[in-house]
Amino acid sequence: MSNSKVTRRQLLAGAAPVVAAGPLCTLAASPLLASDREATHLGHDHALAGHAAMIGETVPAPGEAHDLDQLLFPPQALPHDPGRVREYTLTAYDKQIEVARGVTFNAWTYNGTVPGPIIRATEDDILRVNFTNGGSHPHTIHFHGIHPGDMDGVFEIVQPGDSFSYEFPARPYGMQLYHCHATPLKKHIHKGLYGAFIIDPKEPRPPARELVMVMNGYDTDGDGENNFYTVNGRAFYYAKYPIKVKKGELVRIYLANLTEFDLINSLHLHGEFFRYYRTGSTDHFEYTDTVVQAQGERGILEIEFHNTGVFMFHAHQSEFAELGWMGFFDVR
Amino acid sequence: MESGSVAARLGGARWRLWALVPVIALVTAVSLFAAGGGSLLDLVGRSPPPVDELHVRRVEFHPGRIKVRVTNPQREEITIASVTVDDAVVPFELDGARTLGRLRSSTIVIPYDWVEDEPISVGVTSSTGIETVEEIAAAVETPQASARGFLGYAVIGLLVGVLPVALGLAWLPSLRRASPRWLGAFMALTAGLLTFLALEALSEALGLQAALPGGLGGVGLVLLGVASTYLLLTMFSRRSAGERGTVGGLALATLVAVGIGLHNLGEGLAIGTSFALGELALGSFFVVGFMVHNVTEGLGIAAPIADGGRASLGRLAALALIAGAPAIPGAWLGGFVTSDVLGVLFFAGAAGAALEVVVEVGRYVARHAPGGLGSSHVLGGYLAGIAVMYLTGLLV
Repeated sequence: MSNSKVTRRQLLAGAAPVVAAGPLCTLAASPLLASDREATHLGHDHALAGHAAMIGETVPAPGEAHDLDQLLFPPQALPHDPGRVREYTLTAYDKQIEVARGVTFNAWTYNGTVPGPIIRATEDDILRVNFTNGGSHPHTIHFHGIHPGDMDGVFEIVQPGDSFSYEFPARPYGMQLYHCHATPLKKHIHKGLYGAFIIDPKEPRPPARELVMVMNGYDTDGDGENNFYTVNGRAFYYAKYPIKVKKGELVRIYLANLTEFDLINSLHLHGEFFRYYRTGSTDHFEYTDTVVQAQGERGILEIEFHNTGVFMFHAHQSEFAELGWMGFFDVR
Repeated sequence: MESGSVAARLGGARWRLWALVPVIALVTAVSLFAAGGGSLLDLVGRSPPPVDELHVRRVEFHPGRIKVRVTNPQREEITIASVTVDDAVVPFELDGARTLGRLRSSTIVIPYDWVEDEPISVGVTSSTGIETVEEIAAAVETPQASARGFLGYAVIGLLVGVLPVALGLAWLPSLRRASPRWLGAFMALTAGLLTFLALEALSEALGLQAALPGGLGGVGLVLLGVASTYLLLTMFSRRSAGERGTVGGLALATLVAVGIGLHNLGEGLAIGTSFALGELALGSFFVVGFMVHNVTEGLGIAAPIADGGRASLGRLAALALIAGAPAIPGAWLGGFVTSDVLGVLFFAGAAGAALEVVVEVGRYVARHAPGGLGSSHVLGGYLAGIAVMYLTGLLV
């Protein structure tokens, strides 16, 4: 007991310089995030309160800058060329990944990342995906879109060590997705077997700064509830490494929701409105700053930032935001 | 002759040394197993991964800050990776190691503007993703170990411990005039209320140990507490026993006071802890309830003295202090330290002490009360003791 008293005294002395940060419960960006300040400078001020504490170096996000570039920036769209073969190789394997700072998750991955690699094709391309199951359980790839029944990834279960090639014409255009459809489905999805699948229209979309965001969650302790929420797989990652875009340039985000356990997820953008094309398969859009997606739902956002500055984006479910699903655009 | 006894002594020493042989053999076997233990595990299959559950020992609320004391109760190391408050990841600092070996502790300091009187939960996630969540019924500023705080808990201890016991003792003159039959009934009443207290304390101890993590808890801890005080009091009572082998009068009253005192130590601990954790509102009703509940304890001490014992006013005051005052250090410990392990031991100890005193009182009644244990006065008194404790307990 005397021992614990000593530590408490030491603790009091040690904690004295700690400046009390404000609560994380207000979702409004702090006025400290003045629009002309650079994001890299913000993190150095430890006295920042509220969400400001969740930007820059102090943010508990795993990994280094550019780690997720492969998952954020899609491959170039190719012009329409019916019959052209687009080939991808996906290997499923078990991998321990860091999902929040210091917290590991025993994931099932396509090519070692959660979400898996971005697959992109233009409408009428022949998509060929060579799939090898290097994991410990049977897996498949189930694509959203229009394709024959024997390419659906439901009945063609690929046993560990086996391979399967999916081949079908890519259609219709829009933001699609893919995921494992082996049972138990809930387990195979929440373990990490999913990714973005973009099909470009015949008429190319206007040139833009293109980004892919896959919303997900991780149930790290197996109680059927997510402990962390992210975009592109790492909690608070874009809060630590804001996404740099230019004022006035067209920013196109391919957004998908692959969160398991929770019925819906959402994206809310601060200080700006965007056009939201549900599933990205028509020209119809909604002009809004918040979109809600059910499990497996996806769409395309088009933004032109009117102002420079640091703008937050996050799930408007406050709980998801505070468990990792938040980030910033650094608009120059 | 002399050389023979030396040989015998040497022989005796040899056999005493022999006692070391099993110990040495055990150490050898353990080291051999530890050296090649991995291969044995391979033979019987893989062992499951550790549960990675931390034991949250104490959550303190200070202005703009929450402090969480955690202990690793398991054999494998645990690394603290992430901390949440009300399901939101929060920045934190550690006073202590990030990676905790077995039974090692750290304090997590979270800058946080908590909301007074509202429920709050704190979660600590290990590097393997296992989250330990501690729910707090109401966030209340943790009392600092200040002079005012000490005084406050002392007043609470006085009100619920010493005062009611002293009031109960004031029945002594009336008890002295009671007939032997009725005196037996009051002695039995003492046994009844002590049985009630023993059961209450035992159930409290078992409940507390069940909430402890596997590495720290166990009914063994409860048994240890019960057995220690039971045997300690048995030893004392045997030493002060009269020629007929029973303890009576002032000695028995002292035993009863010690039993009740140990119970009040646990009670004070529970009260202090509950206040500190914001689980209890300090209402006048609460204090009044405890006072009424504990007045009967004073009666229990008075009964053995009334049966032929003599006691000066000073002695009586000392008895009141023995029985009631432990509530004060109990409240201090509960309010400022809070240890669940200590709580288990205290309550188990109280149960053991109370049970022992029940046995002593039973012996006394069997020999001295008219009609012995089977008389209607004794049986009625015993049941009345339990009923009185139950009914006054409803007030708390």
